[in-house]
Amino acid sequence: MDQSKAPPQESRRAFLKGLSASATLAAAVAVRPAAAATRTVQYGMLIDTRRCIGCHACSVACKAEFDVPLGNTRSWVEYVEKGEYPNVSRNFLPRLCNHCSEPNCVDVCPTGATFKRAEDGIVVVDPERCIGCKYCVQACPYDARFINPVTGAADKCDFCLHRVSRGIAPACVETCIGRARIFGDLNDPNSEIAKKIATNPVSVLRPGMGTEPNVYYIAADHSDEQERRRGSYVRVTTHRKEKERR
Amino acid sequence: MSMELNWGLPVIAYLFLAGVGAGALTVSASILLRGGGGHFGGSHFDMARYGALIAPLPVMIGSGLLILELGSFHAGHWFKFLNLYTVINLSPMSIGTWLLTAFIGLSLVYAYTFLATDGAPGDRWDALRRSCAWLGVPMGISVAVYTGVLLGAMPSRPFWNSPVLALIFLFSALSTGVAAIMLTRTLFRKFQIRRLEAVSASSSTRRTSDLDVEGQYHQSGYILAASDTLLIGLELTAIFLFLIFAYLTVGDVRYAVSVILFGGSLAGTFWFWVIFLGLVLPALVELYYVTQRLLLHQSFAVPLGIEIVVPTIVLAGGFMLRYVVVVAGQITGPVGI
Ligand code: SF4
Ligand code: SF4
Repeated sequence: MDQSKAPPQESRRAFLKGLSASATLAAAVAVRPAAAATRTVQYGMLIDTRRCIGCHACSVACKAEFDVPLGNTRSWVEYVEKGEYPNVSRNFLPRLCNHCSEPNCVDVCPTGATFKRAEDGIVVVDPERCIGCKYCVQACPYDARFINPVTGAADKCDFCLHRVSRGIAPACVETCIGRARIFGDLNDPNSEIAKKIATNPVSVLRPGMGTEPNVYYIAADHSDEQERRRGSYVRVTTHRKEKERR
Repeated sequence: MSMELNWGLPVIAYLFLAGVGAGALTVSASILLRGGGGHFGGSHFDMARYGALIAPLPVMIGSGLLILELGSFHAGHWFKFLNLYTVINLSPMSIGTWLLTAFIGLSLVYAYTFLATDGAPGDRWDALRRSCAWLGVPMGISVAVYTGVLLGAMPSRPFWNSPVLALIFLFSALSTGVAAIMLTRTLFRKFQIRRLEAVSASSSTRRTSDLDVEGQYHQSGYILAASDTLLIGLELTAIFLFLIFAYLTVGDVRYAVSVILFGGSLAGTFWFWVIFLGLVLPALVELYYVTQRLLLHQSFAVPLGIEIVVPTIVLAGGFMLRYVVVVAGQITGPVGI
């Protein structure tokens, strides 16, 4: 399962071949089979936090899409409040699984239930194999995972695999009223997401963990409550059962 | 910090019990190979015997507890854990599964060779017993080390992500293994002395020691206490290295270790239960009796109460070590987002 990005030359060839493809998401998804012949696909997401109003529509859409049991969250929006009056701000940080290129959750899974799909780079859990040992829950630096109390298996965002494989955008992307989320193939230089990432200052969460996330942010507020120890006021509201980031 | 613990009491108990079992097997096999096989008389063989009979139990109980902690078990898929046996991969838990299974098998066979009450060096199980012991030393060490690797494999858990943790667990496993043997032989003191008398009466050739039966009993107690003191010393050294390297760094690990340093939420539990009660106090008591024999050449005779209390607090400390480590690892995480 080599997830490394295609070398530049190959990408350019793919770009030329893909010229006919439109830059819209649906098309980007639709060209996947043809493009996969020459390079690997890595789906990713770009979240422009400047466009996010913290309405939780994505969280609700996700809940409805997967019937996520009460108390668990595959997708959530954190509020980051900081500063002293009058110099204050509140920023929103939508969160989900990063479908990492070096997923520690996969490394530790003893049953092979968690794996990264070779065809599109989506990290998935096979609930039939998973024994619910919670090792992956511990290993994910983003707290993206939980044990689904109904299935007893590990659960998390799967980029709406059932929709994406039919060329439909993930539920959170489709529902976002601010159009803050862009979904697509990071390895296709012609995709909207790849272009936006190439032309904007972007960041990923906790890059120091070495997991190489594939969810990018524009203007993410990386402030954390631990900064309180430096004397600045920061409050993070996670809007999930886990009241604090860990 | 109001975190829900994904790994709770079953995992804490498992880490402790697997350590005790692994330690007991390693110590028993070492004693047997070193001298309990025939040259040191009956009391060494008896120590090896207690270790061998103890070893499988805690590991089997601990592994059973692990199954209780599984999400699949909670959801009513009782036997889904068997999926573990359909895969071998590089996950420490996968390696651990196979290792534990092999350990349980080996330790049961090893224990079986000691089962006969008249078992003695050179009996018909001797060859099997010794082969098991040769395998048992590396096997016990592997199980003890692996419990630390299991926790240490994750950068997302800076408290656990230290190679020293596996060493701490190894020393703790060996010392709690010794403590388990000490406690058992004390509780079965009468039984053991009666057995020693029977052995010395039945064959004088097997005895090379000049000591009387009571003296033999205390001689083996001396060896256990002396090795326990040494192991506790090593464990304290490893804990010191763990703390000092975490303290001298910056970022994730420094932040994580602060929960057991002064002012941290687990500091009291750690310093009282693990360091003082579980390590320093028993080491000092054992040292007191050991040095009397070592330096002043007095006979080693420990009061019954001490012989019960010391291993008990060593075992309690070993449990609290796993408690503090497992909880501390889960209430801390990487700094920043
Ligand atoms: S965010 Fe967590 S669960 Fe998702 S792929 Fe990365 S390590 Fe795995
Ligand atoms: S909980 Fe399931 S997916 Fe996660 S590591 Fe355990 S077996 Fe693998």
